[in-house]
Amino acid sequence: MLEQQINLSGAEFLKNKTRGLHVPAAPKALGETAERAAKTNRAATDAVPYFQQWREAAHHIKRYVIANLDRLLVEFEQNITDRGGTVLWAADAIEANRHLLDIAKQHQVRRVVKSKSMVSEELDLNRVLQALDIRVVETDLGEFIVQLAGQRPIHIVTPAIHMSAADVGRLFAEKLGELFTTEHQRLTDIARRHLREEYLAADMGVSGCNFAIAQTGTLVIVENEGNAGLSTATPPVHVALLGIEKLLPRLEDLPLFLNLLPRSGTGQKLTCYTHLIHGPAPGKKLYVILLDNGRSNVLQDQAARAALFCIRCGACLNNCPVYRRIGGWAYGWVYPGPIGAALTPHLLGLKTAGELPFASSLCGACGEVCPVKIDLPHQLVHLRHRAVKEPSPLKSWRERLTWAVWAWFMAGPLRYRLAMWAVHVGLRLAKFLPWHPGKLGAWTRGRELPLSPATNFRRWWKEYQKGHKSR
Amino acid sequence: MNSREKILQRLTQSLRSVEKPSLPPPHEVWPKTNLAPAMMLNRFSDELQEIHGEVLCCADLSHAARELAGLVGQAGWTKLGAMDRSILRQLAAAMPPAMLAWPDAAWSPRRIAELSAGLVAPELLIADTGSCLFVCSTTEERLLCYLPPACVVVAYASQLVEHLPAAWPNVMTRAADRSLRGELLIVTGPSRTTDIEKILILGVHGPKRLVVLIVEGE
Repeated sequence: MLEQQINLSGAEFLKNKTRGLHVPAAPKALGETAERAAKTNRAATDAVPYFQQWREAAHHIKRYVIANLDRLLVEFEQNITDRGGTVLWAADAIEANRHLLDIAKQHQVRRVVKSKSMVSEELDLNRVLQALDIRVVETDLGEFIVQLAGQRPIHIVTPAIHMSAADVGRLFAEKLGELFTTEHQRLTDIARRHLREEYLAADMGVSGCNFAIAQTGTLVIVENEGNAGLSTATPPVHVALLGIEKLLPRLEDLPLFLNLLPRSGTGQKLTCYTHLIHGPAPGKKLYVILLDNGRSNVLQDQAARAALFCIRCGACLNNCPVYRRIGGWAYGWVYPGPIGAALTPHLLGLKTAGELPFASSLCGACGEVCPVKIDLPHQLVHLRHRAVKEPSPLKSWRERLTWAVWAWFMAGPLRYRLAMWAVHVGLRLAKFLPWHPGKLGAWTRGRELPLSPATNFRRWWKEYQKGHKSR
Repeated sequence: MNSREKILQRLTQSLRSVEKPSLPPPHEVWPKTNLAPAMMLNRFSDELQEIHGEVLCCADLSHAARELAGLVGQAGWTKLGAMDRSILRQLAAAMPPAMLAWPDAAWSPRRIAELSAGLVAPELLIADTGSCLFVCSTTEERLLCYLPPACVVVAYASQLVEHLPAAWPNVMTRAADRSLRGELLIVTGPSRTTDIEKILILGVHGPKRLVVLIVEGE
């Protein structure tokens, strides 16, 4: 009965779209760290003379995968089944969560360890399992911190990038009863001690997958901490969550992607652990849940298909000036940054997430660094076109009225001057208002409104010309 | 219609109008340079030390046994759990029997976690990245690589290949075996994290210490 009362519908798009805007301190820490990561990773990719050829080759392989996805999925299913795995298909988060609950029930699971998986964030899996009184613990250090803090990951590779060592020290003191410390080694040792017992007592391990090989039925997981290995090998049951776009056709294609992903993601030549799982070890159970959850919507939009090439390295996030300022939560759902802005409107629909493609300055940095050459700026422009033509928040009467008024003011010099005067006065008066409405209010909760300059360009230009002539 | 059929039908319909590109040939990634064995050994050693792993070069197996005894004494290890591999059985002959255990299916993960170190033998060593490639077909073999607090790898220098693509024919042959279970595992240095302020810390979940003993003579 309890199961029927649980909401299985996966992660919600945050209703409060202004979330994250009023926390200026977090984005500052995040911005600096993301910028540093971008530089390190750039150095790692620049050191490879063949890097551009690799990107090109990876792009072609992913293009082949997406064009043949139906056939490759069946091939993968056949091959992993032959190796003793059980494949379950899920059209959406509800069905995937139902599969997970069925597996948990069948194996009398009370404790779950989870290694980092963005797909599990789509399912809001922790909430679903906890509703059934199943203890679920994130094992990736960043995810563990974020889970303890009751937050969502702010970055797809480094989920707690916004927290300082002091923040983590306070969190461990409050939630785990540990002595406060800001030493990185001691903080890591605390997490190790707590999580070790979790692995050994777990009945089920849940993981994501970085790649899946159709030809051999291989599941590929790359990681640095060892938590994915421990989460998948220690408990008697392993459930791998796999977005249907993660396939590669042949095992021969993997070295290329194993060289691309760590360099773009963490600036490493190879991650510390690369697991190529070929079915369950003797005495163990392996389930693979193949999740659609809106991915087939992307295929229906020919101009957007390349968004499914993404290998989740996070390079576009680190290099995005908008992401560095606003952080991951402001994107409202699981995937932040440019790839989130390009993918989420397809997965959730333009009606829900149609504003996201506008969260970009279109500077092009994301497209330049993408290791599989997704033309992200054009993807975003394409989605902007769709968002203003199809039902979306951009097609509301308020939005249309705003732009009509803006266009009217911009259409004549007198009207333009009047508008500029209104902005000039408005900015000076705004600080005396007792409250600010909507997004302006969220923004000014942690920031000063900028003052418009004392003079404007037209006036300055006139005076400049006068001075020029008189010389 | 079940979900499998529904998803596949949706995909097939969406892809009907798509131009089907041909599958590009496998990419070379890194060209083969046929690096001399001594150069490969140097590169492996440099790369692994760069990522905080340790390398000990040994003239033969008895030298390796002495080095291992030194490590055990220095670190105060009480019990090592070993993979059942010929090179490790030979090494074990020169060690006190009580020092080594050979975990099998009867061993629980908790028992493996209590070992001081895992003693493991790889299939190949990859010079370009300082990596070790293991074939672990059982749970205990998998766990020996990353559950105890330290990991000691023993391999012959002849197992060195220059880079990941050079290791791949071996991986392909293994994966083509339909009876293969468990995992092929590539280990590149000790367990690490940079999740707090991007500061590198070793040994977050897996071994904090990774030592590779390379036996130069067969």
